[in-house]
Amino acid sequence: MASSSTNKFVLKSNDDVSFEVTEAVAREFQVIAHIIDDDCAKKAIPLSNVTGEILSKMIEYGKKHIEEAPVDEEDEEGKKKLQIWDEEFMKQFNMEIVFQLILASNYLNNKGLLDLTCCTVADHIKDMTPDEVRTLFNVKNDYTTEEEEEIRKENSWAFE
Amino acid sequence: MSSTVKKKRKTKKNKELSPILLPSPESTPNPSLPDDLLISCFARVSRLYYPTLSFVSKSFGSLIASPELYKTRSLLNRTESCLYVYLRFHPDPTPYWYTLCRRPNPNITNDISIRKNKKKPCGYVLAAIQAPHSPPAPPAHWAGLVSVGSNIYNIGGPIVDKEASSRVSILDCRSQTWLEGPKMQVERKYPAANVIDGKIYVVGGCKDCDKSNWMEVFDTKTQVWELVSSPGAKICGDSIHKSAVIDEKVYVFGNCNGLALKPKDGTWQRVGWEMESGWAWYSYNVIGNVLYYYNDGGFKWYDTKVRVWRNLMGVKGLPRLPNYIARLADHGGKMAVLWDRKVPSSEDKKKTIWCAVIALERRNNDEEIWGKVEWYDAVLAVPESCRIEYAISATL
Repeated sequence: MASSSTNKFVLKSNDDVSFEVTEAVAREFQVIAHIIDDDCAKKAIPLSNVTGEILSKMIEYGKKHIEEAPVDEEDEEGKKKLQIWDEEFMKQFNMEIVFQLILASNYLNNKGLLDLTCCTVADHIKDMTPDEVRTLFNVKNDYTTEEEEEIRKENSWAFE
Repeated sequence: MSSTVKKKRKTKKNKELSPILLPSPESTPNPSLPDDLLISCFARVSRLYYPTLSFVSKSFGSLIASPELYKTRSLLNRTESCLYVYLRFHPDPTPYWYTLCRRPNPNITNDISIRKNKKKPCGYVLAAIQAPHSPPAPPAHWAGLVSVGSNIYNIGGPIVDKEASSRVSILDCRSQTWLEGPKMQVERKYPAANVIDGKIYVVGGCKDCDKSNWMEVFDTKTQVWELVSSPGAKICGDSIHKSAVIDEKVYVFGNCNGLALKPKDGTWQRVGWEMESGWAWYSYNVIGNVLYYYNDGGFKWYDTKVRVWRNLMGVKGLPRLPNYIARLADHGGKMAVLWDRKVPSSEDKKKTIWCAVIALERRNNDEEIWGKVEWYDAVLAVPESCRIEYAISATL
């Protein structure tokens, strides 16, 4: 049996972009790990909910976390190094990409990336007004005009 | 119109932040996230920003009040100490509850050391608790208010007509709604409530209290009240002046006598007068197992080892506090201080409520405690009739 560092798999995005990755990187995504374990990974693994653009970034993240994984729980320096890389990694994305990464890491079940992307959103929204948050999350204001007026009257500080 | 302007501004900001992956055209909104992923994001935001998030939409409001969100926060080890403040506007007896939060504004700083102009606000504000359709807050007396986890308990009377009562109301700080809790076995008026290990010990306030009913305990896990036999009725009487928990002992003062009860092993002892004298009646609280009070412009703490009151050292940079009245609360081991001041030039008699958070540190073989002001801010404008009844923290 080939070791997981030499064994290769092909991941295919929903817009037909293929990526060849080692088994270890593929296993960073739990859903793919299950497919491998179920021995259903003979050919390219199609991922119907992820675009090539997003998948390439997820693979970059997965690779880094395999290559630079901290030696053990006590490896504070290794953890710190990876944390700095994570922060830099997230800086390149706008919020639309971050949202897509959240959905994709949830779909492929990578807890680390889901945590990282959710933290990025959390950090981004904390100083926003309700209007700005509404636009960012693409949600409708479903308060009635009266309710909205009441909220604005009682909490004018939030809308300044 | 203004929203279009904002949108453009933000898209521009995004562009500047994203040199590699350019955003798609302005009209494309971000993909919508399902509720469980919204909760994953919100759980990682400080609770200080939750009131603002709840104004976004009804669905956001109900996510912010959902038990799932607080379960996730606790799984992620992201629970925080959240300050709640109870105000009254005399002569209106209605209690108004507020919670400390932050205004949305990226240009403010909470670090007072880098605030050049100390008058500049650092963005804290008291937000009114008014969940739509929630039952109104019941009247409360501060001596009967305690918090356990994410709940604030309001215990005993007077409720109406200044009568004693066995009623217990609970503010669930997650959903910000008032619920009725299991009633005490005895009706009480102005009882003193204290918490040890998730159990609420209530003493005094009953008519003709005796050995058997002066004290009762509520186990928040089993939700059951039980009477505890104690000598308190004889020593401290029905009417309790002050009480506090230090080292798992409930200290109670009343009837010119002090008593320390240790419910764990059922023991009790008399407490000398040195603890009582000086302990300001109104402005005190236990913070990180130490009893503090504010009086005459200064903070003091009680050193139980040598039984003396000591000055809290090093508290610098606060604006002038009133001479006697400031509310203290345990804010996750730090001291929260609330006070009010008249607005000097206001013709329509206005006041400002101020809040400060002071970090506390033991030094010199525990013989000294030093306080460092982390921030202070004007948190609410109120009419002159407003009084700060109490401040208390819950864990969320």
